Amino acid sequence: MRPAPLDRKLLRDLWRMKWQAAAIALLIACGVSVMVMAFSAQQALARAQERFYADTRFADAFADLRRAPRSRLPALAAIPGVTALDARVTASGLMEVPGLARPALVRLIALPPREGAGLNRISITRGRLPDPASLDEAVALQSFMEAAGVSLGQRLTATLEGRSVSLRIVGAARSPEYVYAPSPQSFMPDDAHQAVLWAPAPAVDRAAGLQGGFNSLALKLAPGASLPRVLQAVDRLTAPYGGRASYGRADQPSHAFLEAELRELSISASILPPVFLLIAAALTHMVITRLVEAEREQIGLFKAFGYGNAQAAAPYVKLAAAIGLVGAAGGGLGGVWLAAAIVEQYRQYFRFPVLDPSFDWPAFGLAASASVAAALAGSALAARRAARLSPAIAMQPPRPAAYRQGLLDRLVPGHAVDAASRMIVRNLERFPGRAVLTTLGLAASLALLVGSQFVFGSLDHVIDQAYYRAQRWSDSIGFAEARSAGALAQVRRLPGVFAAEPVRIVAVRARANGREERTRLTGLAPDARLNRPLDAAGRPLALAGPGVVLSAALARRLGLAAGDRVRLDILDGRAPSVLAPVTGLAEDYSGFAVYMDRGRLNALMADGDLISGAQLQVAPDAHPAFYRALEAAPQILAAASRDETVANWRAVMIEAFRTSMTFYVGFAAAIAFGVAFNTSRIALSERARDLATLRVLGFERRDCAYILLGELLVLGLVALPIGLAGGHLLAAGLVQAYGREELRLPLVLTAESYAVSLAAYVAAIALAALLVGRRIWSLDMVSVLKTRE
Amino acid sequence: MPDPAVNDLAFSVRGLTKVYATAAGPVHALRGVDLDVRRGETLVLLGPSGSGKSTLLNILGGLDRASDGAAIFQGQDLTRDSDKALTAYRRDSVGFIFQFFNLVPSLTARENVALITELARRPMTPEDALARVGLSDRLDHFPAQLSGGQQQRVAVARAIAKRPQILLCDEPTGSLDSESGVQVLQALRDVSRAEAATTLIVSHNADFAAMADRVIRFRDGAITDIAVNPHPVEPREMRL
Repeated sequence: MRPAPLDRKLLRDLWRMKWQAAAIALLIACGVSVMVMAFSAQQALARAQERFYADTRFADAFADLRRAPRSRLPALAAIPGVTALDARVTASGLMEVPGLARPALVRLIALPPREGAGLNRISITRGRLPDPASLDEAVALQSFMEAAGVSLGQRLTATLEGRSVSLRIVGAARSPEYVYAPSPQSFMPDDAHQAVLWAPAPAVDRAAGLQGGFNSLALKLAPGASLPRVLQAVDRLTAPYGGRASYGRADQPSHAFLEAELRELSISASILPPVFLLIAAALTHMVITRLVEAEREQIGLFKAFGYGNAQAAAPYVKLAAAIGLVGAAGGGLGGVWLAAAIVEQYRQYFRFPVLDPSFDWPAFGLAASASVAAALAGSALAARRAARLSPAIAMQPPRPAAYRQGLLDRLVPGHAVDAASRMIVRNLERFPGRAVLTTLGLAASLALLVGSQFVFGSLDHVIDQAYYRAQRWSDSIGFAEARSAGALAQVRRLPGVFAAEPVRIVAVRARANGREERTRLTGLAPDARLNRPLDAAGRPLALAGPGVVLSAALARRLGLAAGDRVRLDILDGRAPSVLAPVTGLAEDYSGFAVYMDRGRLNALMADGDLISGAQLQVAPDAHPAFYRALEAAPQILAAASRDETVANWRAVMIEAFRTSMTFYVGFAAAIAFGVAFNTSRIALSERARDLATLRVLGFERRDCAYILLGELLVLGLVALPIGLAGGHLLAAGLVQAYGREELRLPLVLTAESYAVSLAAYVAAIALAALLVGRRIWSLDMVSVLKTRE
Repeated sequence: MPDPAVNDLAFSVRGLTKVYATAAGPVHALRGVDLDVRRGETLVLLGPSGSGKSTLLNILGGLDRASDGAAIFQGQDLTRDSDKALTAYRRDSVGFIFQFFNLVPSLTARENVALITELARRPMTPEDALARVGLSDRLDHFPAQLSGGQQQRVAVARAIAKRPQILLCDEPTGSLDSESGVQVLQALRDVSRAEAATTLIVSHNADFAAMADRVIRFRDGAITDIAVNPHPVEPREMRL
């Protein structure tokens, strides 16, 4: 069946306006694809997580302790709400890995006595499980093996709890506890230096010197069980055995990071798509209003032939719906592609056995409906106008468009302004609604550009503040157990060390205003130079007397200001709970910390003048010798290098952000282009005849281009300050929305981020101007003079 | 055959041919037209649609290019000129009047004329030009506030404000009632005479012949007849 004449007209209109329609559909597609991408990626991650957690029986709660006898297990298992309990032994230390300059941190975990028993089970990806009777076989975390270049059969020597242990790697494994394996220093993945090994219990017991006991606990809870109550009961039962505060999944590093990623996907899905759809609706409104205006005679003709009001308006509604549908379809495809790309990126960080891209049909359905609704809403006014046009009026020859003297005429008398500029200003004044929509659209694009570019400047600022101004050490080390301050002298004798400052770190629970947070209490020398908490203005905060300095973010979390008091429950040793005045707030961007004079901390702990580690400055060329000495020092459990941490930061964060920011820039440019192209295309359709007349009268093409594109230029300039201010607001909003405990980005807008934003903004508008402006070169002077508008 | 270099010639047209390629094959809009136009002469070009009169006007106005032949204006062959030269020619030498007025709707009467006087080398003032077409009291009206006849008189003022050597009018009264049409033609006649402009008027309307010095009739892309009118009348005496 041939389509009805009006539908054929619709198809031809659509074809004639294909580029304008495509520019609007592109914006819709951007919005839909972001939404589909975010929800699909979220679904993919959540499914992989759910499946892996279920298959491996990932625990709901965790506790670390010094050493408890297995005889305590029945009491722990009897805690109401606990359905399964896994007590195991773990040992930590440093391990030399051939090919790596710096020793890797290693955690050795005992395997359950039977294969496939217990919680937090591992899944073997290559090789095999160790022989249960073997004392020197182990499996290693697959991500570590890949990053560190460790192969099956390779023998590795670790220094665990002061004992040297040699293990042969017989298999590679995944673990629900290490889906994401961040470095404790930078919170960034550093797979090569995060070695996790699993070995049969006897081997681990021997390494940890813990025969008959356990030091790590994992619990599975009944659905609906109260996590806080279970944690309280666990803490009560483990306290006599050096139990530190137990924690739920939310504080388990791998799980917490995964959840943060899922949250961020929700934010992406909720910020961008509405912006795109709003702008698409505004553009649809502008384009279809213009189309109805240009076709008023045809509409009148159809009505004269006997078509009803609804029939006359229908093609415009259908046109909008078609644009919405094309955009939604394109967005669906784009979303599939983006989701696949982001899932591919996730595979580098999130080690699931199965992480397949998925397609969230309900999200697509919602986004597609919203797209069509936005396009229809955009066409509503124009369609109403078409429906209301009286045939008699529509078929009269049009009067010249009615202009009047506007603001400019009142402000600038006489001939101070040339005729071309007057035309530009009067056009803006004649269509104020269009001018406002265009300005807002362009401003939104610029805001999105500025709001996304701030990340790079902010990351640089964080790195500079955290690693070059506050923490000025090049390397830090941690001891297995707190040692007497005299150990610092030994540390100073390590090769290349030319400065060393003691630090004592204990686990603490900070409480105030009914809120609490588990974190570290760091004791520093009051005159420390290598680690100085800084305030927001970058000034060092003094650590003296009984007062403590809190991370500003921790203070906010607890509702505290300088001068308030914070309750500190020290979770190591037998220190009392203290109420300490908050003397300062440190702007430390990453993690939560409480700082205190180390002398005061030692006095509270009442266990002597102890240090748990040291912060050092090591001569750069002495690093190889320094690391070799660390590997041989049995008492040293942890080592971190600033340069590697910073490099890791840059590699991971900047790369991760670069991908998403590239999309943001592309999206923002699409907005600027779509808005600029449609605005100038409409201007061309309205003014083609005027411009051809001017060409006939002897105007140069560039004069015509000025008249046609001057309007865009003016609106682009007006949008500039609005967009910059909006970008600032957006960046501030994103800082809030994306703020994680492990990384709080400050709002730092550098000249470079402004430059990149402005360049993309100008380029997108210039491209649109070029595409429309080149039509001036092909204006048909002869035909345009023979036709009425 | 008159010499093209003769000083009192505005145009010398030789073998002018225009062929349009269409889907149905080539269409000959002009088939080797020869014509000399004297300075200050008023020509009326008559003929049915598609007879070639508008095509000739467009080529003489520097809007369209010929396929073959020559159209010499002051020793300059318009058929061989560059785009830039044609733009300069239109700007400096030609005044156009169109059937649909083609005023810029966002500019007042005065500003529509100023559009041209800003470009021209020795223009009259917009006020002067509008006074000559009897619109001194409509200087600051926008096109939408003027009647069709008034709009066309603004267009006449715009065309003559640069003191062009050539005035080209394509159906100048085609969308006007007869009274307005007469007013426009009279204004055109008055100003072209005052400036001694060579005037070519294209029309369907044979009544225009009365105001012409010569009447050129077209059919099928060729000139069929050139009639000299020894006693041109004033437009106000014509009945359209």
